[in-house]
Amino acid sequence: MTDASWFEAVGDKLRDGVSLSESEIAVLSETRDLVRLGALADERRRRLRGDRATFVRVAEATTTDAVEVGVPRQAGELRLAGCPATDSLLLQSVREAARIAGDVPVSGFALDELVDLCRRDVARFDDLVAALRTEGLAYIAEARVERTEDPAWVARASAAGVPVARWTVCDQAADGNSALQRVARWGGDAAVPALAPLSRTLSEKPSTGYEDVRRVALARLLVDNIDSIQVDWRRYGPQLAQVALTFGADDIDGVSPGDSEEHGTRRSTLGEITRNIRAACLVPVERDGRFRTLRTHHQ
Amino acid sequence: MTSRRIDDAVRRVLDGGRLGPADALVLYTDLSTNELGQLADAVRAARHPDRIVTYIIDRNVNYTNVCVARCNFCAFYREVGATDGYVLGFDEIFAKIDETIAVGGMQLLLQGGHNPDLPLAWYEDLFRAVKTRHPDFKLHALSPPEVIHLSRLSQLPARTVIDRLVAAGLDSIPGGGAEILVDRVRKHLNCYGKATATEWIDVMRHAHEAGLRTTATMMYGTVERPDERIEHLLRLRELQDETGGFTAFITWSFQPSNTELGGVGATGVEYLRTLALARLVLDNFDNLQASWVTQGGKVGQLSLAYGANDMGSVMIEENVVRSAGAAYCMDEVEIVRNIEDAGFVPKRRDMQYKTLGDPVFRERQVPRMTALATARDAGDTSVPVELDRYPARSLAGKRRQSA
Ligand code: SF4
Repeated sequence: MTDASWFEAVGDKLRDGVSLSESEIAVLSETRDLVRLGALADERRRRLRGDRATFVRVAEATTTDAVEVGVPRQAGELRLAGCPATDSLLLQSVREAARIAGDVPVSGFALDELVDLCRRDVARFDDLVAALRTEGLAYIAEARVERTEDPAWVARASAAGVPVARWTVCDQAADGNSALQRVARWGGDAAVPALAPLSRTLSEKPSTGYEDVRRVALARLLVDNIDSIQVDWRRYGPQLAQVALTFGADDIDGVSPGDSEEHGTRRSTLGEITRNIRAACLVPVERDGRFRTLRTHHQ
Repeated sequence: MTSRRIDDAVRRVLDGGRLGPADALVLYTDLSTNELGQLADAVRAARHPDRIVTYIIDRNVNYTNVCVARCNFCAFYREVGATDGYVLGFDEIFAKIDETIAVGGMQLLLQGGHNPDLPLAWYEDLFRAVKTRHPDFKLHALSPPEVIHLSRLSQLPARTVIDRLVAAGLDSIPGGGAEILVDRVRKHLNCYGKATATEWIDVMRHAHEAGLRTTATMMYGTVERPDERIEHLLRLRELQDETGGFTAFITWSFQPSNTELGGVGATGVEYLRTLALARLVLDNFDNLQASWVTQGGKVGQLSLAYGANDMGSVMIEENVVRSAGAAYCMDEVEIVRNIEDAGFVPKRRDMQYKTLGDPVFRERQVPRMTALATARDAGDTSVPVELDRYPARSLAGKRRQSA
């Protein structure tokens, strides 16, 4: 059933902007014809994004150690991990992070953590987000699809001055694809610049290469209201992140701002990421945490 | 013009024709990764329509790390007399064989450095001793440069060395040491002295003529150009036309860490493209292995979509790639999970690619393996007693024997 002509017909539909049927999505979600699926996703990616692949060098710190850790000058973003238990600690952590970050955009927190902190009180949420903006928060780092019951919170955060940077998928399990479909359904009301379709949590049974690149390709094909499909460099490693670029991904998140020390050998991370992007026949474009282009790395 | 050439080359592949060097180069340099993969996958599917993906349970034992060849891409070797140089004793090797049999394995992949203190008789005695203990256990041993080293050491023709090793119990020869079969590249890598391209091919020809089956390999990603990778593949294809003795082809990328050559390693996409190219050029090879040992499990599994039909070995032990920093491990359970997840049917095989059956762990309980073993525990500097039976050639070896 899923021979070359079936994929061609699906490709024609996608090119004409026709939505795929439930049964077509089900077939794509299960297909073992990985390279054909990848070709569809790659074609769509190139149509939307050309031959650019963006990446961002991210300094990571917790809300308590950002000042000690500091921000390397190569960083395009400072991302805070963790969420303090009170509003005042939250605001203080952003204030201190913004002070040391200077011009580097600061992001942090998961949307559901902020919603919980405000006990789902809309007015309190709006006030908190506005205050975070004043203290220097550029983006809420993520909205976790499985923990988002109402996408209206995404729009509220944006309206209050701090948009969400990316949708993330927590579960590695098979329902990851339903998470993609939820994002696709939420549409423009919950506009977010990026989607990171690969699971953020490690499970006992690690995902396979097929599962990962299939998920990336499906994200590109099913979710048409989001510009960037992201893969995390540190979490998934250079090999898979690079291959994902040929399966519909167009943005590499979480690149280290320092040198990588792999197997005891010091390597320039910038050299490695740009080399990997070029070897995937794409042009490396460095961006910052506000999704602004910093530099195109021509050969 | 280029797109016309690409179309012609694609058509040639789809029509079952043979790629020449120019066609191969245009596909390699100008076809997108997905298109190259689709083409390789179609060729793989035509050759293996049963969707079976095989693997072997064997152990990769490196009997010595002492080597006089000094290839500049090698992180494994130690100089003669080095404090961390080692030679495994026969008893250590027997113990490894027993462990291999316990997890369902039936073969050693036995390779090592060019150690001047191990004469031909050492190998013959070892092989005979193994076969006496386990007559059905297979010895897939000594790549062509090791055969050439023994030929020089014993001042016997390579053909005679092979005959004597076969008489002692050698079953097949691994395709290691090929690197890139282009002498310009071999001179750069300081491996021209251990074997020229023609010498490597000649040893394989002798082996095939002696009735042995062998594998073929390619290590890419050093100083070679794309056309030289293709030249390498064409030399293998030519010998395969002549003898039909290769069972499989395995390619992996240079692992630069801890090597004199240094530099950076090739990327995952380059690996998949190179594998796909090999499937297209090597139209007379049945089997292409995935190199998960160098690429990791994920890209290793993706190899099955880019032309590979074999997941290689449940290795149990690995020392060479580990010296260059990569240390991936997949036991039989993991290999089977990856094969099935990709939609293929896993089958155990032997070196001749004869199917042996379903996964062992589905028939009986075998211990899970979460890390590959090493040749020896760190700090073990013991010297096997039987080494004294073989006259040393190196100064360090002579001193040890006279002490
Ligand atoms: S690759 Fe083999 S022959 Fe070359 S130095 Fe290493 S052990 Fe010796």
